[in-house]
Amino acid sequence: MRKREIKTTLLYVVLILITFLSISPLIWIFLTAFKIRREIFAIPPVWIPKLPTLNNFISIFTGGFSRTPFIYNSIIISLSTTLLAMIIATMAAYGFAKFRVPRSKDIEFWILSTRMMPPIAVVIPLFLLFRNVGLLDTKRGLIMVYIAFNLPFAVWMMSIFFRQLPREIEEAAVIDGCSTFSLLRHISLPLVAPGLAVVAIFTFYFTWNELLLALILTGRAAKTFPVSISEFRGVVNIRWGPMAASSIVHIAPVIVITFLLQKYIIAGLTLGAIKK
Amino acid sequence: MSKNARVIKYVFVLPAIIYLILLTIYPLIYSLKISVTTLNIARPYPPQYIGLSNFVELLKDSIFVTAMKNTFFLTVLSICAEFILGFIIARFFFMGANLKLKGVGLLRTIYMLPMMVTPLVFGLIWLYIFNPTLGVANYLLSLLGFPPISWFGSTNIALYSIVLINVWEWTPFMMLLCLAGLSTIPPELFEVARIDGAGWHQSIAFIELPLVRRVILIGLMIRIMDNFRLFDLVYVTTGGGPGSSTETLSMFTYRQSFMFFNVGYGAAASIIILILGIILAQILMKSVWGKEEYA
Repeated sequence: MRKREIKTTLLYVVLILITFLSISPLIWIFLTAFKIRREIFAIPPVWIPKLPTLNNFISIFTGGFSRTPFIYNSIIISLSTTLLAMIIATMAAYGFAKFRVPRSKDIEFWILSTRMMPPIAVVIPLFLLFRNVGLLDTKRGLIMVYIAFNLPFAVWMMSIFFRQLPREIEEAAVIDGCSTFSLLRHISLPLVAPGLAVVAIFTFYFTWNELLLALILTGRAAKTFPVSISEFRGVVNIRWGPMAASSIVHIAPVIVITFLLQKYIIAGLTLGAIKK
Repeated sequence: MSKNARVIKYVFVLPAIIYLILLTIYPLIYSLKISVTTLNIARPYPPQYIGLSNFVELLKDSIFVTAMKNTFFLTVLSICAEFILGFIIARFFFMGANLKLKGVGLLRTIYMLPMMVTPLVFGLIWLYIFNPTLGVANYLLSLLGFPPISWFGSTNIALYSIVLINVWEWTPFMMLLCLAGLSTIPPELFEVARIDGAGWHQSIAFIELPLVRRVILIGLMIRIMDNFRLFDLVYVTTGGGPGSSTETLSMFTYRQSFMFFNVGYGAAASIIILILGIILAQILMKSVWGKEEYA
């Protein structure tokens, strides 16, 4: 019994050390966000802020360097993309899973291949097309592109969930006179709610975090939060305090979602390879 | 099947297909059209048709070749490190879960946080940590008696610094996949192996690795494609420099198209990237799902 206790303690120590090491950069930027300028520049470093301040956060929400409009843009773009991608993908996945669509395997395979496509490969023509039709630097233009980038994963994930549904349930509903749409709405959708959660989380992550497409397809009006954060880098003297505060504001919702919905995240990461 | 049902299935499936054709296939065709011209959006005169000259130029362009080598190098190095570290760490968490230790689930969630953060922010954090004058990395090195390292300033080191950050952020991803794979193995298998006198290394080689093969392959596939298009991390830390020592394919194309406005040349580069990407994706996907059973 003694040996087991030692083993348990050792394992705890190892796991805590690994975890601490892994998130140490995040802890460091969190502490930095609350430091005054002098402490940020101090060497040897001031580990815990002695004079904690909220000035860095205030500076990103007010005044000339306010990031509020970009945060607002990112929220609108992320939520719209998530909602629309879920609707289009759920319909397609339901179609593939429940009806005989000619060459459906090949089409699904093609859809998943497009997920592998590097964004840089389509962003040049999209930039030129958007410039011609006036979609450059608009929220709806970026939303359209983001939907396209999220559809493949969403269709794939949803069709895995739809295929797991027992046929009997739906057949019974059809015999009772249920139409195709009300069948989907009242019977199938509630049963694939976990799949919808996975798709919603991953689409939100993608859009909330995306940089390259937003950098090229937006300018002033529709600029997203990540693009505005990337601008900290462009100058000679980086404003570390506001940079740290912006980072914290950006990653806070992500961390909250991770804690609340981790089981869906793991299901999504394994691409449905592990079925519970 | 009634005629009605035949119509309905297309109502379900077509929006997604048409959408993807409009926003991926059509742009690609357009891209092909641009790639054979001298189009530069900063110049007023109309572009000229120049055939495959852009492609020939690219293969002779030493920076493009360097970008290709760098992308390949950092992909291989990152993925090997992520997989080895991820598997080892997954075994620790797996042991913890088997011993039913309290709080292991919480630790795992905290452990995986770096991968949920965008590489843009993670890169900026490391820009601060690796800063030559106020960075904490060189301070810690000096405590251990090592000379300061020019993390992003030296052409020999910068690419390794990128790999380090990349591995730091994404090892949790491989660890989660390995852990998910390990926990699907029936416990009786370990029991039988133990009774038969198998050591831990035999258990890894003959039980764990073969049985988590599919999850590992999915992980490798996703990470290979991620690294193949790596942009955010490089853009925010080194911008491809110093020189072209951390230039990647995405970074090169971005710079050509949107900083030098050589859109024709950039489009040609993006087509080469796309062709490489398609080949890579097909090989990887077929190796994961085979030809028939990928759904």
